[in-house]
Amino acid sequence: MVLKIFFPTCCNTADSGLLIGRWIPGQDSAVVLAVIHYPFIPGQVKKYLSETQNQSQVDLAVLGSWSLPKDGQEGMDSFLKDLSTIFPNSRWLQLSREIGKRGFACQVVHNRITPPDPAQGGTDKKDQIIFIHYDQRKVMLSQLHPIHEESPGEESSELRAVFHTVAQSGPLFLLDRYDEGPLKLTHWQSEGREASIVVELSKQASVPLCIVLTWLVSLWQSKCFRSYSPGLFFRTSVKMSTCVQTAYRTNHFQTVFSTKKATSHMEFMRKANIFVSFLVDMSLGLLLVSWLYRENHISQLANTLVPVADHVAKELQELLEWLMGAPAGLKMNRALDQVLGRFFLYHIHLWISYIRLMSPFIEMILWYVGLSACLGLTFALSVLSDIVALLTFHIYCFYVYGARLYCLKVYGLSSLWRLFCGKKWNVLRQRVDSCSYDLDQLFIGTLLFTILLFLLPTTALYYLVFTLLRLVVVMFQGVIHLAIDLINSFPLFAMGLRLCRSYRLAEGVKFRVLCEEPGTPLHLMMEINPLKCSSVLQRYRTPTYSCYPRDSWVDLCKKLFMGELIYPWKHKTTKTD
Amino acid sequence: MGANSGPGASPCASPVGPWRKVLYARQPFPDNHVDRRFLEELRRNIRVRQYRYWAVVRETGLVAQQVSCVAVFITLWSCMDQGRLGPSVLLWAATGCALPGYGLYEMLGGKDRERPRLADLQSAAVFLAFTFGFSPVLKTLTESVSTDTVYAMSAVMLLAHLLSFPYTQPSPPGSLSLNAALFASVCLASRLPGALHTFAMLSWALLVFALWPCLLHRLRERAEWSFPWAAGLVCAGGVGGLGAVWPGGALLLSLALLVLTLACPLLLVCLQRHKDNIHGPWDEAEIREDLSRFLS
Repeated sequence: MVLKIFFPTCCNTADSGLLIGRWIPGQDSAVVLAVIHYPFIPGQVKKYLSETQNQSQVDLAVLGSWSLPKDGQEGMDSFLKDLSTIFPNSRWLQLSREIGKRGFACQVVHNRITPPDPAQGGTDKKDQIIFIHYDQRKVMLSQLHPIHEESPGEESSELRAVFHTVAQSGPLFLLDRYDEGPLKLTHWQSEGREASIVVELSKQASVPLCIVLTWLVSLWQSKCFRSYSPGLFFRTSVKMSTCVQTAYRTNHFQTVFSTKKATSHMEFMRKANIFVSFLVDMSLGLLLVSWLYRENHISQLANTLVPVADHVAKELQELLEWLMGAPAGLKMNRALDQVLGRFFLYHIHLWISYIRLMSPFIEMILWYVGLSACLGLTFALSVLSDIVALLTFHIYCFYVYGARLYCLKVYGLSSLWRLFCGKKWNVLRQRVDSCSYDLDQLFIGTLLFTILLFLLPTTALYYLVFTLLRLVVVMFQGVIHLAIDLINSFPLFAMGLRLCRSYRLAEGVKFRVLCEEPGTPLHLMMEINPLKCSSVLQRYRTPTYSCYPRDSWVDLCKKLFMGELIYPWKHKTTKTD
Repeated sequence: MGANSGPGASPCASPVGPWRKVLYARQPFPDNHVDRRFLEELRRNIRVRQYRYWAVVRETGLVAQQVSCVAVFITLWSCMDQGRLGPSVLLWAATGCALPGYGLYEMLGGKDRERPRLADLQSAAVFLAFTFGFSPVLKTLTESVSTDTVYAMSAVMLLAHLLSFPYTQPSPPGSLSLNAALFASVCLASRLPGALHTFAMLSWALLVFALWPCLLHRLRERAEWSFPWAAGLVCAGGVGGLGAVWPGGALLLSLALLVLTLACPLLLVCLQRHKDNIHGPWDEAEIREDLSRFLS
């Protein structure tokens, strides 16, 4: 039988006394948490243990005795041996160490309270003991991944039990050596508790601040999102990325500023991530604002905006004139060409007049809109995305016209082709059946088929050109959204924790041999394996309304071929739990 | 299963009896055993019909006249293309053919009417309105397509029309054949100079490809004697018309018609004796349902 004893490194040089810890149920191992020094009264020890057990929900027990003989304490050994009768337990550990030697000696005394288990062989065999040294402070603060929410006594593995025990034993570590109490302990905090005034002050101030902010956020939500009736406003607001981003951030504020304290590790990390990313976002936004409003950048932007829009419209006009001629040597049907070309040219003419009308007000609008960048860089980017969408609205309109016309044509052609072959689409059975048509139907169907077939190249070319333009605009907006998404979801706090305090996010442990001599027990040092950076990103990513492509490439090509309108980005709804 | 057969029995008898053609009884014969009744039920050529030469020739007249219809149509188009006939002339001629044709159809029809006269009038109105309305559009359809392509497409479509024509039941015209013919006529008609030309061309296409087979079928049903004369008239018209436009084509057409009408039936009759079809109980079952007992 191999007995594993987890021993904290801070107790390596502690004075002789009692070992306090926990036996891991179901495994042959024990975790030593602290050492209570002589002199002590056993009754007070028991009272203290039961109090601490109530506070921390960890079943503490006296594991055994620890003796590090110093000058003037020779009689300790026998005294400590007799203590096993005062604190009854099925096993009593007697650890001893000599100053100058590296290894410990250990003896296990089995108390014959229960008869020996015949499955284990019965007689007292020589137990093999392994000492595993651990850094108590690091293990206490660390969180083992993947995270399972377990209650004490039901841990799924020995390692988890160890980490859990140490983490939950916070109340045990509150007594340090400056306390005037009957008991003297040695643990990681016994040299004095760490505290800082700033942290304490901010903790005190945060509660009323949170209350105020939560009230403000709920006021904002009730005013903005409920007083407007659903319908047209709702539909347009869902499309505008600014509104989506605002709703998203409001949700975040609700999470961060709520007065409920984070109970689990994941909640705490999420709050911290959101808070830090919000701070970074705001600071970047303020940087942008300071750059924009310095040296008259706003008026420069406004002065270039109108000529750019004009230039785009002129390019479109030239494109249409080229299409109305003989583009790339293709022969178009002249009449249809002229009709479509003139229709789109009229639209562009309307657009140019609209831009010219708005040009005096552009600078003022830009000035006020630029102020919104104070709310964060993501906000500024989403405003930019919306401005781009508004400026290219005519391209969107052209695309919709072209796509609808082409779609109608394709459906008409496919249906009339079936008529040509004497077949029909059976809607009930979802298949193609033969059908005997009337003379009128055949005649008119053939005429229409011929017309649609010969007009197909013209429509297809217009559709192709406008779809390409629309895709360019969509790609540009996609890039902006990608940047917004990155800023929104990157877990800055978790990454910072991983880089600066890597022991807090643990993936596992590794062991290093400290002392291996024949005759003495094996000593291992347990070191924490930090989580890989990619796992950190994956696990602590804030869920966003990320835009990802709705269809695969094959589906997209099929939709384009059939002329269906494509909305390439799908918005995932924000997950709140 | 006991049966008496002594040791001197025929080779296919066994202690358990003669071999039986069943699968559900275990018999001591190998799986591929056959007895002398093997292939007793084989029949040869039970469905071969005896063709008579002149009857076949008579029936071939239908195919020949359809080819000549196509030739007549091409002639008309060619005349309009070369400017020999004006569209108004053709339109009047179309009316002149359509009305007597309809009268003949009604006369031969007798008492059974599948469609009321009003429906016929409605159909005619719809045709005329649509064709007249779409002629300007149809005229400009193939402007950008080269002439060779148009001719090639029309030729392919007319060939498809001839191949897919329902020669056995021509009265409701088959979809593919009619559509192919109309497509070809639209292609050709769009090459003509004016919208009225297109309209005239389409009206004639309707007459020749859609209405004439119905009339011919009615003639065959009611007045059997007139069928060879009608077919012969159409063939003569085809050859003659083509001769006025392209003499070489007329020669080719007449040659083709002769081959089709005289040589092909000969071939059919002569080759019948080489037929060797075998039938037997292994054929796929044909379900012949007599639905007349369900219809009252």
